[in-house]
Amino acid sequence: MMSMLTMLTLAQAADGPTPPTFWMPTGASAHASNVDSMMWWINLIMWAFLALNTVLTVYFVWKYRHKVGTKFRTDGPDHNGPLELAWTVGPLLICIVLFIFGFQGYLDVRTPPKESYDINVTAYKWGWQFKYPNGAQSDDLVIPAGKPVRLVMRASDVLHSCYIPAFRVKQDLVPGRYTYLWFQSDFPTGMDQPTDGHHLFCTEYCGTGHSNMNRRVYVLPQEQFDAWTTKQANWLDEIPEEELYWKAGPKLYARCVQCHSLDGTKGIGPSWKGIWARVSGGEGSNGAFAGGSTYSGLIGAGKQYATAEDYIRASIYNPGEHLVQGYGNVMPTFKGQINDKGIDALIGMMKKLDEFDPKTGAWLKTPPAAAPTASAK
Amino acid sequence: MTTLPARPAAPTYDTPESDNYLTHDKGFLSWILTLDHKRIGVMYTASVLLSFLVGGIFALLVRTELLTPGRTFIDADTYNHFFTLHGAVMVFLVIIPSIPAALGNFVLPVMLGAKDVAFPRLNLFSYHLWIAGAVCTVVSLVMGSFDTGWTFYTPYSTTTTAGGVVPVIVGVFILGFSSIFTGMNFIVTIHKLRPPGMTWFRMPLFLWALYSTALIQVLATPVLAITLALVAVERIANIGIFNPAMGGDPVLYQHFFWFYSHPAVYIMIVPAMGIISELIAVHSHRQIFGYRFIAFSSVAIAIFSFLVWGHHMFTSGQSSLMNTLFSAISFSVAIPSAVKVFNWICTLYKGSISLNTPMLYALAFLILFTIGGLTGLHLATLNTDVHLHDTYFVVAHFHYVMMGSALIAMVGGLHHWWPKMTGRMYNEKLGMTACTLVFIGFNVTFFTQFMLGSHGMPRRYYDYQPEFQIYHVISTIGSYIMAGGFLLTAMYLVQSLVSGKRAPANPWGGATLEWECASPPPYYNFHEAPKVGEPYDFSNLKWDERGEGYVTVKPAEAKA
Repeated sequence: MMSMLTMLTLAQAADGPTPPTFWMPTGASAHASNVDSMMWWINLIMWAFLALNTVLTVYFVWKYRHKVGTKFRTDGPDHNGPLELAWTVGPLLICIVLFIFGFQGYLDVRTPPKESYDINVTAYKWGWQFKYPNGAQSDDLVIPAGKPVRLVMRASDVLHSCYIPAFRVKQDLVPGRYTYLWFQSDFPTGMDQPTDGHHLFCTEYCGTGHSNMNRRVYVLPQEQFDAWTTKQANWLDEIPEEELYWKAGPKLYARCVQCHSLDGTKGIGPSWKGIWARVSGGEGSNGAFAGGSTYSGLIGAGKQYATAEDYIRASIYNPGEHLVQGYGNVMPTFKGQINDKGIDALIGMMKKLDEFDPKTGAWLKTPPAAAPTASAK
Repeated sequence: MTTLPARPAAPTYDTPESDNYLTHDKGFLSWILTLDHKRIGVMYTASVLLSFLVGGIFALLVRTELLTPGRTFIDADTYNHFFTLHGAVMVFLVIIPSIPAALGNFVLPVMLGAKDVAFPRLNLFSYHLWIAGAVCTVVSLVMGSFDTGWTFYTPYSTTTTAGGVVPVIVGVFILGFSSIFTGMNFIVTIHKLRPPGMTWFRMPLFLWALYSTALIQVLATPVLAITLALVAVERIANIGIFNPAMGGDPVLYQHFFWFYSHPAVYIMIVPAMGIISELIAVHSHRQIFGYRFIAFSSVAIAIFSFLVWGHHMFTSGQSSLMNTLFSAISFSVAIPSAVKVFNWICTLYKGSISLNTPMLYALAFLILFTIGGLTGLHLATLNTDVHLHDTYFVVAHFHYVMMGSALIAMVGGLHHWWPKMTGRMYNEKLGMTACTLVFIGFNVTFFTQFMLGSHGMPRRYYDYQPEFQIYHVISTIGSYIMAGGFLLTAMYLVQSLVSGKRAPANPWGGATLEWECASPPPYYNFHEAPKVGEPYDFSNLKWDERGEGYVTVKPAEAKA
């Protein structure tokens, strides 16, 4: 049995991720084979005891069935010291062994190597933001292959938990604390097809969008990874101002879509439909806020926000200050996540919402010049 | 064997005593203000079963929504409310009071040969508090319900916009006191009202279990009450205790919560183990194997239960050292649990086994608890838990223990004492059929969920990846089978009340004291103080054709 397990481990090291089995999903990290062989042993113990108990129970019930009216047997033993001691000590020994092996594996999961590559993670209701050392940001997690990666994680509102089944790792993100999670995957996944990569889930219940916090984890070879982070760090800067609203807008809007619709559907937050008219003194500018104020009462020369642009930026950076009537204080701040150029892109998109698909947010027009190919993830 | 020697004034069969606890007084007030532990037990039983229906409907709604990824028929918020309500109703209104307060109330004093519990008025107050707690839950539903999960994890629970969080917290607070008072009552009753001759080691094992449970109830429940009070204070007065935005610590909440809620798991399972000890011994008609090991393992579980709460927090940010210690201690719970299972199986050996409905439930318990207990090993082991934590594997594990074991034992106990409580027999064939349906449905529902979890499906998910759908569909079908089984149970139990055969005093051949009084028992339980014998000595019992029950005969006659 041990040799079979060793073979499994070696096969993983040589060929690639372990394929899914009856019990476990694909395993693609150094921890995975460790956890899987532990599962295998515990399952073996489980099946053995289950079979033993079931067979004995069924056999005894059949063998010692009682016919109504006959005498009760009285020859059954009422205790047996050595036997009872044996089934107290036996399980104890099994438990001690399981504890020790589980503990060893756990130490590996919890102790990142010194030279690990750090990625900052912020979880919020309801999404993830991954920040790389060179300033690049992404919604999906991208990691270099063959290198220990450490996630430095925090939550901006409530508890979340980062779970990557293929790596067999999980760690809660706690507001007000930093937590770590590390892993290493040696097998590149590519990131072009929808099926590429592994799942990343939130496993600490966090409300309405809890089950929509699933993202992908892409593993890239080192050179490809470096190229990706470089491009990713600069993607917004490389877009010319006049193309900003349709190139960057929809991409940034992908973080807003869970709460803000474009077609007027009431979501967790107000729809963007007609937003520019509302904030710039047009139709709907008498819309009420929770405190009794209105759009036109807040925005305009001499008021709290001199321009509509000021109001939009403030709503993204400090969303709790003024709440539109009928909506809760739910939105996290995007300060430090969306810079001024990004805000410009979103405002540009809001001004020309009729150019975008009201369901998906995709731009409906064709680019004026030859279609650019750069599509930063 | 066919004719019995003439006996003086045969007891209760075919002409049941007209003056029993059910007929002693009449009218609504004679029930709701009664001090009789039997009536209080019956009212608890009815209330708990009604709550079980409500919690079960929420479960079926949740399972139906999960038939397809994305929306099936309700939106994400409604789903979150439904799974929260399912959990809260089942834990606080059903399983915690189901065995101690419902069955325990009825059985405990009769098993002791006593007239009532030590403090009958406090007992009634416990029930009224239960009602008050249930009313608070209904108020919460009206005020907008709650979507926090039954665990009320902060800071989500202190910031969510759902309107019913505070009322339900008040409700759980009140239910906690109901539970504490019942526990105190039982501790005093067992210490003070044991009849002459009933030493601690001549007590039926169900009483050992209720005693251990009562200790946990009294010691752990106040912590929950204080914790929930703090959550309410944070919500209402904005005092930062658990919410880091106000300087609080959410992990502290988890420690407080699980310091109660882990022992609470044993408030559910220890009395269930007590019932199983009774069912297996009585229906095997044989001295229980290893009485002392079973009795002491109940106490051991009660003690260990206070030392393992941290295993709910292996991925919470708790330090690695703490996780290691809690993992080691958690394994210790496996030992007394395993001891009990082996002892029960050995009680079957060379027994005289009557395979009827209560026994079938006890056998179902043996299998389901074996699975529930052994999958605890996956979760106590640190590195596998990191993968399985907060997935459906955990959901399946605790359903095997809380439903497959605790609730199945409750239903088995209900069938065991039903003739005693109501004076009626139910249809055995339907009983066995329903039990089989529940057993099959349960395994189809929850064994599938082990596989969902180990493949990485997180719990409390409204939407899921398409590759998980097949497991969800099978699981939902299982839940419908199980619902069919329980529906059938409800039907034949109601039918037995209307037209069931009169129950003899001792239909199963039990040797504990509750089988010596009539079915249903007289108002004061016993006309004269019963003589205490060995609880599991069946040698003096004989089947009586005429009464279709067992009667006690003198030792000499039994040998004839």
